[in-house]
Amino acid sequence: MKIKAFILGAAGLAAALAAVTLMPAQRATAQGPNNDPPQVWDAFGGNQQAQKYSTATQITPENVKNLKMAWEMHTGDVSSGERSTTWGATPLFVNNTVYVGTPWYRIVAVEPDTGKTKWTYASNGGEGPPENQGLKNRGVAYWAASAPTAGPCQKIVYVGTMTGTLHGVDADSGKPCAGFGKNGVVDVNAWAPKNSKWKIGLLQPPAVYKDTLILGWAGNDWVYKTENPGTVYGIDARTGALKWTFNIIPPEMENQTGTANVWAGISVDPETGLAFLPTSSPSPNYYGGDRLTEMPYATATVAVNAETGEVKWSRQLVHHDIWDVDINSAPTLLDIKKDGQVIPALIQANKMGLMVVLNRNTGEPVWPIVERAYPASDIKGEVATKTQPFVPYPEPLIAEHMPPVSKLADIVSFGECSRWKARIRDEGRYTPPSVRGSISWPATLGGVEWGGGALDPTTNTYVVNSNIVPQIYSLVPRADADKKYGSALRDKDGYAAQQGSAYGFKLENFLNMWGMPCWTPPYGTLSSYDMNSGKLLWKKPFGQVQKWGFYMPESWGSITIGAPAITKAGLVFIGASMDSRVRAIDLKTGNTLWRHIVDAPAVSQPAIYTYKGKQYVVFAVGGNGILTPRLSDQLVAFSLPN
Amino acid sequence: MTQRHSTRGAWLIMLASLITIAICVYDYYTPKTGLIGTGGVILVAGAAALMLLASLAMAMVPNRSCFLQGFLVVSILLDIIGSSVAGYFLESPVIMAAQALALIGWLMNVIADAADRSVEIDEVEDED
Repeated sequence: MKIKAFILGAAGLAAALAAVTLMPAQRATAQGPNNDPPQVWDAFGGNQQAQKYSTATQITPENVKNLKMAWEMHTGDVSSGERSTTWGATPLFVNNTVYVGTPWYRIVAVEPDTGKTKWTYASNGGEGPPENQGLKNRGVAYWAASAPTAGPCQKIVYVGTMTGTLHGVDADSGKPCAGFGKNGVVDVNAWAPKNSKWKIGLLQPPAVYKDTLILGWAGNDWVYKTENPGTVYGIDARTGALKWTFNIIPPEMENQTGTANVWAGISVDPETGLAFLPTSSPSPNYYGGDRLTEMPYATATVAVNAETGEVKWSRQLVHHDIWDVDINSAPTLLDIKKDGQVIPALIQANKMGLMVVLNRNTGEPVWPIVERAYPASDIKGEVATKTQPFVPYPEPLIAEHMPPVSKLADIVSFGECSRWKARIRDEGRYTPPSVRGSISWPATLGGVEWGGGALDPTTNTYVVNSNIVPQIYSLVPRADADKKYGSALRDKDGYAAQQGSAYGFKLENFLNMWGMPCWTPPYGTLSSYDMNSGKLLWKKPFGQVQKWGFYMPESWGSITIGAPAITKAGLVFIGASMDSRVRAIDLKTGNTLWRHIVDAPAVSQPAIYTYKGKQYVVFAVGGNGILTPRLSDQLVAFSLPN
Repeated sequence: MTQRHSTRGAWLIMLASLITIAICVYDYYTPKTGLIGTGGVILVAGAAALMLLASLAMAMVPNRSCFLQGFLVVSILLDIIGSSVAGYFLESPVIMAAQALALIGWLMNVIADAADRSVEIDEVEDED
């Protein structure tokens, strides 16, 4: 790759041991002779604890090079243009079936060893004009009755839609469950009338704890000042009845702001029944002059009782968020062995690239969180908080300041990058948005994206992918915004109205005239930590940028969306990168042992299962317009040849 | 003023161009190549088409000016270098192998042409 970097440069110059309770659930499914224990992959994060860990050992670092495509199928649910799809579903394997949600909000049930479709369910939730989230799906949820009775719907698969409906379908037949909501449909949007500007998007499957579904939603927090307040719903898994709500926005602030919703995954401790909610930033995202009152549950990790919604503890990880650095992934639960003690903990890696590790029963930090001073805002009416939480150890995934301007990108653009950088405000992490433009470091792309990391609970090795992406945030005074954009809520140039507030907003990617990043690579990394000691074990550029078909050097890495999964045999499986490849990585060294081209970037989390004696690794390959225009509807499984 | 120039190697360059175009068409329409719909593949295909035209001229017009011969030789070499680099960044060993084939054809032509010139000069000197 040095050769590639050289060639490109030349061309540019010319031109702890886990507690038993935290081990992944192993439930009986029909299996043939097999060295691996029977296992399922029955939740978005692999299990309730969001560990993304499989006990499968058939595929090893030694034989992974022989991995071949076992089957592939195409759901048919892919589209571009105005109705562009974004598919980041984690396939589930449970009930001897692979279940996957699609961006047209259908459920597809697939035979685990052949990829043949068993049944499909169409929610029709993708019809009509695109709502705030458009055609976007991150999968389905699964519930099984603990004491099943005769008749259907003792096992239910759920899919949400962009119009705020939640559908419950019999897992065996694919027929709607008549006893769930109204003929199998719960209109969650009807529960959210306050300040309703759009229909809430149920793109993220609910978490399941006993007979309760814990459901968040996705909003559109760039376009209005006052929006739907972020509410989390506890729903009866069997009937669809509302059991409880948790309001993130304080009632007295509901006329000033909105959202701060939970749009990412939710993890649950099956022993204590605590659900861990990663909350997002309030609206409008980038100007907080109208919402200066403290809102402690916003941009925080909040632990609630999964069956009542009662708050046990909360910890705000970004004060007065004016950067849209939502807490965006389900915390990974683990038991840390530290100083002779076993600490029930969670890891909340976040968009700021910080490795927050908390006692999951109390919310107290396992390693210290310090309040560090950050720059003030120069915007009239805005008051950026003087300090923000910072976690010096475990080592942050990204540095305090953005990387220097890329000489190559600067030279080939005749100095465009350095001139641009000189014009804008850059004081490192938490530089507040400004009218002249500020570097947002890290930007809304992270740091760590919505997949979070994966954990080997037998060794407490945690692996996480992270982005290294500065963007430029500019506030546009209302009069200027109205003059230029009129009543438009958004514009292709990155404008978002933040209507009702004193400023519109413009997001720009820090790219030169040729589309090259203006900062030095790498653009993305994969890191491994020993979570008993907090020590960083290895950190490597991950993935490759692919532009016009040309692969950039591996040392440059790639922006990633999606997450890894770990197996007991010592492998990390991950797609996520821009180059439309899925990879197997050696857990010990971080070296790539196997890779395979798929139809588009696999911006999802793989599922790993064994069925009839064979281990499979399945990826939903959907693509994401943020990374590349290449989209797909491919569901692909890999296994070792017979 | 035209001279007779060598046509040796031209057919090899033509073959390499056709292979390159075929590979590019396959890559452009096949998801599993990782290059489906990419501009880089179109670029290489375009370069191969130009190389095909140049090699056709080399084969079909043996009596050509020194300027045209120089132009063809230089442009084909630049095409080979550019396509090889592109093939490297496209991570397409087949495109790079095709360029190696083209390079062999190019070398055959240049060497043969130089040998022909050398014989002509010898003959002129003998006449003196």
